[in-house]
Amino acid sequence: MGRKLIEHPFYAIIFGSFVFFIVIPVAYTLGTALFADSSLTDNLQLLNKDTFLLLAKSCIIAFSIALLSTLFGTALGFLLYKTQVPFRSFFKIALLIPLFISPYILAVAWKDFFFLLFNNTDFISSYIGVILVLTSIFTPLSMLIVGSALANINAQLEETGFVITDFRSVIFKIMLPLIKPALITSFVLVFIFSISEFSVPAFFGVKVFTTEIFTQFSAFYNHSLAILQSALLILLCVLLLLSERKYIADAPFLSVSGKGKSTKFYNLENKKWISLFFLAGWFFISVILPFIVLIVQSFQDGIAKFVQAFELLKPTFGNSLGLALAGALITVFIGFTVAYPTWSGVETKSGKSFDWLLLVVFAIPSTILGISLIKFYNHPILDFIYSGYAIILIGYTAKFSFISAKLIGNAIMQIPNSLDEAAQIEGIALSKRIQKILIPLIMPALFAAFVINFIFCLGELGITIMLYPPGTEIMPIKVFTIMANAPQSLTSSMTLIVFSVTLLIIACLYFIGKTFFKDYSNVNN
Amino acid sequence: MSIIKLNNITHSYGDKPVLQELTLNIEDNQLSCLLGGSGCGKTTILRLIAGLEIPTNGQIIIQDKIVTDKQKIIIPPYKRNLGYIFQDLALWPHFTVYKNIAFGLRERKEKNVKYTVFKMLEFFGLQDHADKYPHQLSGGQQQLVAISRALVLKPRILLMDEPLANLDVKLKRKLLEHIKNLKQSREFGINLTIVYVTHDHKEALTLADTIVVLNEGKIEETGNIEQIKKSKNEYVQYFIEK
Amino acid sequence: MKNLTFIIAFIIVLITSNCNNNSNVVVVYTTVDQIFSEPVLKEFESGTGITVKVVYDTEETKSTGVLNRLIAEKDNPQCDVFWSGDPVRTIILKNRGITTPFQSQVANDIDMVFKDPDYHWTGFSARARVLIYNKNLLAAADVPRSIFDLTKEQYSGKVAIANPLFGTTTFHIAAIFTAVGDEKAKQFLADLKSNAVVIATSNGDVKKRVVQGEIACGLTDTDDAWEAIKEGANVGIVFLDQQGIGSLIMPNTVSLINNSPHPANAKKLMDYLLSKETEAKLAKSCAQMPLHKGVEIPGNIPSLDNIIPMKIDYDKTAKKLEEIQYYLKEWAEN
Repeated sequence: MGRKLIEHPFYAIIFGSFVFFIVIPVAYTLGTALFADSSLTDNLQLLNKDTFLLLAKSCIIAFSIALLSTLFGTALGFLLYKTQVPFRSFFKIALLIPLFISPYILAVAWKDFFFLLFNNTDFISSYIGVILVLTSIFTPLSMLIVGSALANINAQLEETGFVITDFRSVIFKIMLPLIKPALITSFVLVFIFSISEFSVPAFFGVKVFTTEIFTQFSAFYNHSLAILQSALLILLCVLLLLSERKYIADAPFLSVSGKGKSTKFYNLENKKWISLFFLAGWFFISVILPFIVLIVQSFQDGIAKFVQAFELLKPTFGNSLGLALAGALITVFIGFTVAYPTWSGVETKSGKSFDWLLLVVFAIPSTILGISLIKFYNHPILDFIYSGYAIILIGYTAKFSFISAKLIGNAIMQIPNSLDEAAQIEGIALSKRIQKILIPLIMPALFAAFVINFIFCLGELGITIMLYPPGTEIMPIKVFTIMANAPQSLTSSMTLIVFSVTLLIIACLYFIGKTFFKDYSNVNN
Repeated sequence: MSIIKLNNITHSYGDKPVLQELTLNIEDNQLSCLLGGSGCGKTTILRLIAGLEIPTNGQIIIQDKIVTDKQKIIIPPYKRNLGYIFQDLALWPHFTVYKNIAFGLRERKEKNVKYTVFKMLEFFGLQDHADKYPHQLSGGQQQLVAISRALVLKPRILLMDEPLANLDVKLKRKLLEHIKNLKQSREFGINLTIVYVTHDHKEALTLADTIVVLNEGKIEETGNIEQIKKSKNEYVQYFIEK
Repeated sequence: MKNLTFIIAFIIVLITSNCNNNSNVVVVYTTVDQIFSEPVLKEFESGTGITVKVVYDTEETKSTGVLNRLIAEKDNPQCDVFWSGDPVRTIILKNRGITTPFQSQVANDIDMVFKDPDYHWTGFSARARVLIYNKNLLAAADVPRSIFDLTKEQYSGKVAIANPLFGTTTFHIAAIFTAVGDEKAKQFLADLKSNAVVIATSNGDVKKRVVQGEIACGLTDTDDAWEAIKEGANVGIVFLDQQGIGSLIMPNTVSLINNSPHPANAKKLMDYLLSKETEAKLAKSCAQMPLHKGVEIPGNIPSLDNIIPMKIDYDKTAKKLEEIQYYLKEWAEN
């Protein structure tokens, strides 16, 4: 049972280390910065009408992105998970690509594209540009969330509907209400990701709340005000997630998948080609187009720059892959530990607070998190952490554990408690139950969490740039430090290489996953 | 003699009371049926006996040992010497039939695991399905695997939560036979006490040595088949005749 | 369980793998673009056998990542040498007690204007602020000659400058404030604004927009401008105000960090950076103008001998910068 696990030394160690390595440093730095030199009262006065107006503006942008992403994500998710549209297994993976490419790179590619085509970038360098680019990045996330919810609807629920009414009504009156929790989750997550996004609005010169925090931080060195403003952002994110959770906890229809669950597929008939056109169009716009821009720029001066870019990046591959691997393993491990108590249904205080800690840390802007970690870890006794890769791994853990906890938590919720209870009665020890029953059953989700965090760690820039030990070569850092003042063809080549490496890894992991989990697809149905 | 005693058990989920000061004795070596409509608390009683749930108040005694007392599990589920058949069967989907049954034996470091498992499979006529996965079996076969898995550990008490729900009449009859045989078989039946939860009075009236009729967390009537049939209790009459 | 042990072992190896305490190292934080700074540092490494560990900065963090890091690390410095692309940041560090004086003999013949009076920083290889213009969009006769020309109506909507809150642009504007006084400078900025000036994200962005022909001309640094010419873009470069206040010259600066872990190696590296050889290399790679006398430079690179520099006190300008920052923020955002 959950309570047992909480009392389990192992759980206590993980919980304790997370608090010790991440929460205490952050709390300590934020606390001291906030209250230093009575700056709190001074800065509270600076939180004036303008600050809140700016926050409101950022909210509107994030709201638009969240709405559009959820809308498009639902349409794509429906086509890919509920119909037999041609090439759907290809699109299921291919459409996820923008999610794994640094938003900054996509922003650059889009701006160049607009310039190539219209000789003018006013349109894209605006709120509209921010909304369009971020929508293209986050729609795959919505697609994933909504799509898997659609795939889990018990076919009988839809079939019962068809006996009574037509296709349209079934979609709007039965199917969409059934997946309302997924729609809300999608909306809330995209909103949070968008409102915390810095690089795209900064690149397009659009002033939003995150760029304001950055300005306070980097032009005025007013850390205290920057932290205070971040606190507003964190508060907003936490409140949103709180309401999301409350809603989902209250949702009576979460148990949509029951016994005899099977997915109902729709026949598109004459709409097949239109649907395929929509999918292919989306793929073209969100993936192929930026890719083409990069290729055109990379090879405009021949192949030499591409070769140079490869030589520059070569020493970074080993480090970056190793770090991403370790980061993904650690975050999956922590995510699992946090998510486990939800299975046994015994909600405990420490389980809940662990969950919340991950969330709060996740919502802290990278720069602030980076500074906190430096201030805490840069002491002679902690030098073995600060001067090595460990500090970067701590940064990854702080940033990405929340994502894996959420993914794994969702998977665990799908596994009936009785499978654990049956083993309890047989006297199987907790560690064995986890090892032999729970883990094999959620292996696909663990693997998915691993892949996603691997890719995120591989491309992480915000924290890594603050923390990377002198003299180490890390892929995203190198791309961005070289980018300054290097010829366009060189930067595009480097971007293209990173893009391709990421794609290659996704493809490899996908095929590994496919062969490994071949048996799982039928087990779970 | 009572093998299981529930003394003054009160239990609620959140603000929702499920059981109110319920006292119940289950006789040794009998098949007792807990009969009642949905939401009457019958499954909760089973889970409390198994130790999967901690009551808000009261005491549970199994084989003269206090197993649960004052909101505390004193003896954990697996030391209570019982088997549990879940309503959804809870067969581990990633294990074969053989492994589902053998898992507990192996973890308990028993000897002759293979021999024991195959004897059990033979008893239920499942020997040809040892290498299949649960989803490859029919509903009735899955039921038998779940029963085998529980019995292979030689429990004194077998708790069954509506094991026959969702089965057709023919299969139901066959399984009822099996369960009756079980009680009489030398292999497993010796001193086996079965607590059987159902909402189907026909099942209860076919199987039970003792029937306990429950309604909204309270006991309406207890007795053998004849006594229940003759009961003057309005709810019992209504429930049996519906 | 075996797997878990393996994973934990792997992580431990990874964590500790970078902890080899090689004492013959020097740690440099630099805001100079990696593409130019790396070759210089690599040569020092191969020449001396001292391992150089570098933290580079990126365009995206507007070169303030390194600075915030130095400030955060103040109590336990990890860095030995701070090599900055301009004096502004170095002065911020000096004021916060993060740097310590070091008078390099190699730099004796560099003009005192380019050094901190207390030797907290020493300048070398300088860049200048220039106007870059697209030859297709501006005829030679129409090219502005003074920064104050940019407020004329004929350039309405045709001029770009980088965000004045960051980088060398801030310093340039602070220099104008010290050169012509607050009142005139503010008027200039207001006129620029009403003349529909385009605010780009960085100097590199200004260059890119002018090269692509999106905008006619803009203010940027010599290294960015030279890069554009090297890439074959059809652009020209003008040193502004050669008849007036002069062009702003910004030297690279190098500083020794207070309580640095490897001070001896740090001083060796600083001597190397301040040498004529380094200036020659930087002149070649990114058109930086040497401050030493008699450094051999390619013919097409400008020389300080031919340019009228703006006469400013770097310390005072840095103070002015802090003073006007809120004003600049207001100006840039509204």
